Amino acid sequence: MILRTVNLTKNFGGLMAVDHVNMEVEEGAVHSIIGPNGAGKTTFFNILTGEISPTEGEVFFREKKITGLKPHQVAQMRIGRSFQLNSLFKNLTVLENLRLAAHSQHSGHFNFLKDFRSFTSPIGQARKVLEEMEMTPIAAKKAGELSHAGQRTLEVAIALAGNPLLLLLDEPTSGMSPEETIRMIRLIKKIAKQRAMVVIEHNMKLVWSISTVITVLHQGQVIATGPPSQIEKNEEVQKAYLGGTTE
Amino acid sequence: MIEKALGKRKNWIDGEIFILAGLLLLLPFLLPYKTLPAEIVIYALGAVSFNLLLGYTGLLSFGQAIFFGSGAYLTGLLLIHFGLHPMLTLALSGIFGALLAALIGFLSIQQVGIYFVMLTLAFNQLAFFMAYQWKGITGGDDGLLNVPRPDVSLFPGFELPVQGNFQFFLFVWVIFLLSFIVIRRIIHSPFGRVLMAIRENPDRTRALGYNVIQYKVMAFTLSGFFTGVAGGLYALFIKMVPVNAIELVTSTDFIIMSLVGGTGSLFGPIIGAIVVKIASEILSLLWARWLFILGVIFVVFVLFMRGGIWGILSDSWNKFTATRAGQGEKP
Repeated sequence: MILRTVNLTKNFGGLMAVDHVNMEVEEGAVHSIIGPNGAGKTTFFNILTGEISPTEGEVFFREKKITGLKPHQVAQMRIGRSFQLNSLFKNLTVLENLRLAAHSQHSGHFNFLKDFRSFTSPIGQARKVLEEMEMTPIAAKKAGELSHAGQRTLEVAIALAGNPLLLLLDEPTSGMSPEETIRMIRLIKKIAKQRAMVVIEHNMKLVWSISTVITVLHQGQVIATGPPSQIEKNEEVQKAYLGGTTE
Repeated sequence: MIEKALGKRKNWIDGEIFILAGLLLLLPFLLPYKTLPAEIVIYALGAVSFNLLLGYTGLLSFGQAIFFGSGAYLTGLLLIHFGLHPMLTLALSGIFGALLAALIGFLSIQQVGIYFVMLTLAFNQLAFFMAYQWKGITGGDDGLLNVPRPDVSLFPGFELPVQGNFQFFLFVWVIFLLSFIVIRRIIHSPFGRVLMAIRENPDRTRALGYNVIQYKVMAFTLSGFFTGVAGGLYALFIKMVPVNAIELVTSTDFIIMSLVGGTGSLFGPIIGAIVVKIASEILSLLWARWLFILGVIFVVFVLFMRGGIWGILSDSWNKFTATRAGQGEKP
């Protein structure tokens, strides 16, 4: 078990954004979280990574309690995340975006008297991710100059560059064209082979093709968890989400 | 590919440093004012140090005069009361500036955006009134008078004379270049790159595992060190410490210089210090309300020339080289 939450709850002034969520992510799993807008998916991520603190409940990473840690401390435990809205270093090059992400997990990032280009291992790690995400031709472009799909890919690549044990992706394909989505699905499948992942996603093609487990959130609560085949048949899920308008 | 995306590795000293040293050395020969060159270089050090915060970390500090003024007072007091070696007083002024900056930086960065700015401004007012009221130590409104400027003994039996205007300029020039070399090193270090990441996107920097608060405090500390050294030089320069060395107006001087020169590079604030100081000198002779004109120049830069003078120069250079490259391809 790489990640476990116990009764995780966030109460925003009476609104239960996340309501006693118990979730278990196995090592090596690709665990998708689906649910309608406002189901509390991103809030759930934000609690996991320490961006906001829960009203109640605990988060365990490899059975070590990480509730109450600050975002940079969570990242130092090698939990990487991408954001729903692009959060890049727009005036820096693609490679520099990735190097910054990689260097936080290497020694010497506090060194202030040595040229940053002398540190070869973070640069090597950044180049590896560059190749893995098929971004080598655009390495020298500034992040802000990329197309939307390019920026989305970089968003995921940055999360990957810290070589995380657990990767959290928040809607990696949002705003992409069908062709771009197909490409992203292929890339995500590739990177899923080496690590556990939790993915928030609306694109059902992606969810069904990559997931080993799916959790359905509705109004902050887990209404179903299981392998894709089981979720597909679940009546409550049909009503709340997949079928949508049965009334 | 790597070199294109990350740039070339920089040595401690290279052609850039020699060009800068040479150009600054021209100042005493080009300017008709005897003391202005040293003053320009002292302010340039303050502006470059400030730009570590504004240009590289994205922190608009209105508190730089605290570190500048405190550095000036400390060097002045140590020379008056203890007759210490001037190099030692400058180093102590730097350390004092760094300690104050660590404290004030730590307290101010608990807030972000406009609240952060207001905190630095409030701390500057606090420091000013302390200096103003504490007459026994600082001389209050009259300033700390009769600061000696002893010759600098480099080793037993050899004293570097710094009494003449040009002699003192050379002394300031050396301290500036040493500081600049270290600051440039910091900018190109992994630490400096994280500062730039914070400027670009503090939330993402934090999510990558960097302790943003710690980095910001470090940026303040380093900026405070070099600003304190500049303050110490200032006390040696005018052989007194006027209370306005620690007043808010000195903080805004550094801000104006950085913005006019350009915050995007290390060279911008130097150009800013040269232009603003020379413009002040000329304008103050022409019109008593010259500060008004300086204000207008400042507004024009902020509204229409965000990259500052350095931005204009580097844009034109890029265009020039691009058209030349284009001509090469198509005869």
